[in-house]
Amino acid sequence: MTDPESPIVYIVDDDGAVREALEDLLSSVALGSRSFASVQEFVGAAHADAPSCLVLDVRMPGHSGMAFLAHMAEGSIALPTVMITGHGDIAMSVRAMKDGAIEFLTKPFRDQDLLDAVNRGIEIDRARRAAAAETRHVRQLWEALSPGEREVARLVVRGLLNKQVAAELGLSEITVKVRRGNMMRKMEARTLPDLVRAFDRIHA
Amino acid sequence: MTRRLGNGLERGQAPRIALLVAAIAAIFAVDTVTNYAIAAAVFYVAVILLATRWMRPRSVVILASACGTLTVISFTLTHSGLYEVGIINTGISLVAIAVTTYLSLKLVAAEAAIHDARERLTRIARVTSLGELTASIAHEVNQPLAAVMTSAGACRRWLATDPPNIEKAERAAERIAAEASRASEVIARVRGLASGKSPIRAAFDLGTLVEEIVGLARGQIDRNDILLRLYLPEDLPRVFGDRVQIGQVIGNLLLNAIDAVMADPARGHEIEVIASLTQDGSSVALEVADSGVGFREQEAERLFDAFWTTKQDGIGLGLTISRAIVEANGGRIWAEESELDGAALLFTLPVAPVDGEEETGA
Repeated sequence: MTDPESPIVYIVDDDGAVREALEDLLSSVALGSRSFASVQEFVGAAHADAPSCLVLDVRMPGHSGMAFLAHMAEGSIALPTVMITGHGDIAMSVRAMKDGAIEFLTKPFRDQDLLDAVNRGIEIDRARRAAAAETRHVRQLWEALSPGEREVARLVVRGLLNKQVAAELGLSEITVKVRRGNMMRKMEARTLPDLVRAFDRIHA
Repeated sequence: MTRRLGNGLERGQAPRIALLVAAIAAIFAVDTVTNYAIAAAVFYVAVILLATRWMRPRSVVILASACGTLTVISFTLTHSGLYEVGIINTGISLVAIAVTTYLSLKLVAAEAAIHDARERLTRIARVTSLGELTASIAHEVNQPLAAVMTSAGACRRWLATDPPNIEKAERAAERIAAEASRASEVIARVRGLASGKSPIRAAFDLGTLVEEIVGLARGQIDRNDILLRLYLPEDLPRVFGDRVQIGQVIGNLLLNAIDAVMADPARGHEIEVIASLTQDGSSVALEVADSGVGFREQEAERLFDAFWTTKQDGIGLGLTISRAIVEANGGRIWAEESELDGAALLFTLPVAPVDGEEETGA
């Protein structure tokens, strides 16, 4: 569990036996987990900086899982969530999916269904984390550009040729060429499409 | 409204029709014979009021029209009295007949609507509470089943690893067994509640039953390091009741006590089960006392309410069912503070009659 990239599954269920069984099942496929008896406990705990997935029971004393899911949908924590319930109906599952649950399983569920959902959740979170990291990285690169290089970059991504950029900025074509070369190198972009993608990432 | 009055005339209508016809005939005769000043036709109103109780709305309307027609015929047949008075009286009679018909039909319709609404409300209430009940039961059963299936998956995977992790697999298998029996307990409890059949009562020894039930819970008691003391005097008379049902009650109280002492590890882990003869000698009382968290005074009243629970994963039916069983067996159940600083649940059962050997009764 020391490897920051090894995933962790959070389990929130008020039933001790279910928690224990889930932890054991996940551990049997080498997935780390932490379990909580209530939403409050889960919210209060520190969350690891690792790809995660949440397995959340619908009906619990105190905060219900459904309410928490809806709250999460508009709030800061955004974990891929697998809802589990002892007595689900269609209306409830529709609501859960609308609120962003990736899966809605009715107890007793097949262990493989749960593992599939959890793995999918972890992959979603991994992708989300990778995208976030990439955005952070590109933003750092962008911050490192000089104001002149940024001006050039803005025009280049609009499809302007060096000659046109030079005219637009009132610079010589040579200067534009030099700034463009520096900019491309600093942005770690080898081709124009690379640059456009990076640009979109931070200006989306 | 048609539903209420049925299709066509109901059985037993004949005498009523005869009565109405006789009344109409009498009114017609009087109205025709007497002079204009006597507005006998107004009495058709009484006929119509009766008819709304007995006949379909359409029949009532036809009857009212007939009455109106008869009023007019009477008017033309009558020749004594002032003609103007006759006109006015006939007019009043016709208006009275029309208004009465209209209002009484409205009234009948309103009554029928109220009846319908009340019926629907009762049905909704029944269905809703049944729905809640089944949802609770489903939740309660599916919880252990989820643990069973999940543990089974884990167990299979532990065995499939190379080399197989026998220890982990064994622990998962133990969990499966424990959770399966938890599920079947729920079913047994619900069945006891749902069947609602009258107990099969017979004389039996309460102390022996307590020992049997304690035996069933022994694993849980030992595993949790609970000190259980039994005070079961041998000279107690036999009690009279449904042995199986009372066993459920004792089991329920014992499990509650175990849950209560486990809920707070900081407190002592003690449970006492005490049987004694009540002061008047008519009943045997059994007390299950624990050193657990107990209950607050205002909770004492709610302890036996359905769906009321202090447990994290309870549905609050245990004590409700226990009370139903004890009362069906002619006993009483109540809660006190225990001397062990937790809760004490007590129930009584009548002492078996001396000649009540294995006798059964309702």
